[in-house]
Amino acid sequence: MKRSVVKKVFLLVFVFVILAGLAWLFVNLVPDPPVKELEEARIAIADARSKNSVIYSAKLFKEARSFYDSAMISWKTENRRFILFRDYERVRKFSLLASKKAAEATKRTIAKEKDMKESLKRDIDRLNSELKAFEKIFTSVPLPMEMKKKNARGKLLLKEAEIAYDKGQYVSGNVKVSEANDYITDSYEVAREKLTNYYRNFSRWQEWTRATINESKANNSYAIVVEKIPGVCHLYYNGVKKYTFEAEFGKNWMGDKVSKGDGATPEGRYRVTKKLQNGSTKYHKALMINYPNEQDLEEFRQRVSSGSIPSNSKIGGLIEIHGDGGKGGNWTEGCVALRNPDMDTLFRLVSNGTPVTIIGSTITLTQVMAGE
Amino acid sequence: MKNRFFLVIATVAAVALMTSCGKVPQAGIDAANAAIDSAKVVEADIYLPGDFTALNDSMTVIMQDIEAQKSKLFKSYKTASAKLEALKAQAGTVATSAVAKKAEVKAEAEAGLVSVKALLDEVKGLIAKAPRGKDAKAVLEQMKGEVDAAEATITEAQTLFDAGTNYMQVADKITATTKQLNDLKAELEEVMAKVKR
Repeated sequence: MKRSVVKKVFLLVFVFVILAGLAWLFVNLVPDPPVKELEEARIAIADARSKNSVIYSAKLFKEARSFYDSAMISWKTENRRFILFRDYERVRKFSLLASKKAAEATKRTIAKEKDMKESLKRDIDRLNSELKAFEKIFTSVPLPMEMKKKNARGKLLLKEAEIAYDKGQYVSGNVKVSEANDYITDSYEVAREKLTNYYRNFSRWQEWTRATINESKANNSYAIVVEKIPGVCHLYYNGVKKYTFEAEFGKNWMGDKVSKGDGATPEGRYRVTKKLQNGSTKYHKALMINYPNEQDLEEFRQRVSSGSIPSNSKIGGLIEIHGDGGKGGNWTEGCVALRNPDMDTLFRLVSNGTPVTIIGSTITLTQVMAGE
Repeated sequence: MKNRFFLVIATVAAVALMTSCGKVPQAGIDAANAAIDSAKVVEADIYLPGDFTALNDSMTVIMQDIEAQKSKLFKSYKTASAKLEALKAQAGTVATSAVAKKAEVKAEAEAGLVSVKALLDEVKGLIAKAPRGKDAKAVLEQMKGEVDAAEATITEAQTLFDAGTNYMQVADKITATTKQLNDLKAELEEVMAKVKR
């Protein structure tokens, strides 16, 4: 009986020792997963995301995410194996790569965001300066509405870019500023080019003006000089400027009249051929001029023969200096419109045969571009 | 002999119990993911981006916890299950808040559209009443161009609003246009005040 108890106790102790030994071995042989590395990778990715790496370093951020996902997949795969046969080396490797890529993404994002912020600020400032220049130069030059609309569209887009900048949305801000740039630069360049081309006739304008004023002086008579760019009509007497009236022109005023219906006001040296009033004109009072003159006819024939205008084009006519002006825009079909009181003055002082010279401007392109 | 047999059975049962305690809370994972998806459906990622990102981050942390438990000899998913429950509830709250935020932004955009249209009409009225001197003529033409551009942007904003894609964009367009129109209004009022003096 005693021997049997001793044997049982011995057996129990033996089994316990064996089991405890096995358990100790088991616990010590189970590999540890790289929890710390994975956690670090997760934090690095979250940090990169919070710094907007998704936007500024998309490729690196995607790579970091991809390595993290690979680490998780590897971890899951290993966890499916028998506990003693697991190997977390790949999980560790992917985690470290994810951390590295996420840190690179964050670093690059900080630099890129700073660059983008600075470049956006520069572009906003530059375009605001261009806008100011446009307003200074071209507001005084009545340009076609289309160009002004383009400029205004750019101005509004620039405001949207400024809002994006204030909100720290530099990517969308850059998209807006790029659109604004297209409109503003385009309208500025087109306006500048159009004006420069228009000024090719400047020497002719000077010559015509000089000759007209000299004629007024020589004949001790009145002469009219109309300037399109400042939008004025001067009345000279004996070579001296007596009156300056505000004037409005055809919708397509910049340039010489080419054909009927082009909405342009002709440029050249003309004379008053007829004075119209008391219902013979619908524009209060009118001074008909001899458009087309010989030079206009010659230029028209050349344009038709060179094919620059269709052969069935007509030169047009019935160009007048008339009343009903002061509407605040260029609206006529090609005539010069004055306010009615100014028209009354002009009508009273001039007679048939009075010289009428219509030009772009007496001030130089440099002066116009300087906003003088 | 009988005692020995029970001892072996007890040992095996104890080991089995220690190594296989707890099951992966798959239902909880699926429910939390579904709740996050529902939050995305109501555009929480647009209207509450910070909160939506936090939901996804929490889910990542929980998935890491679950995998860490799977790696252990003695598994327990109690904490993960509790976190999943909390995350599901949080996703629900975010979804509700996103719906409210969207409604708020929509109402703001709608009111903004009404006020910017009224401002547009006011500026148009001021332009019509503005004095037409020699210098004012060109300036007014420039202003008309700006009013046209503002009107085009308001139309764009209205189209975006009607489509209901992103009311935040609508709000930004309204803010820009309002600024532009307020500048024009101030300029016109200054000119008119000068004329009165």
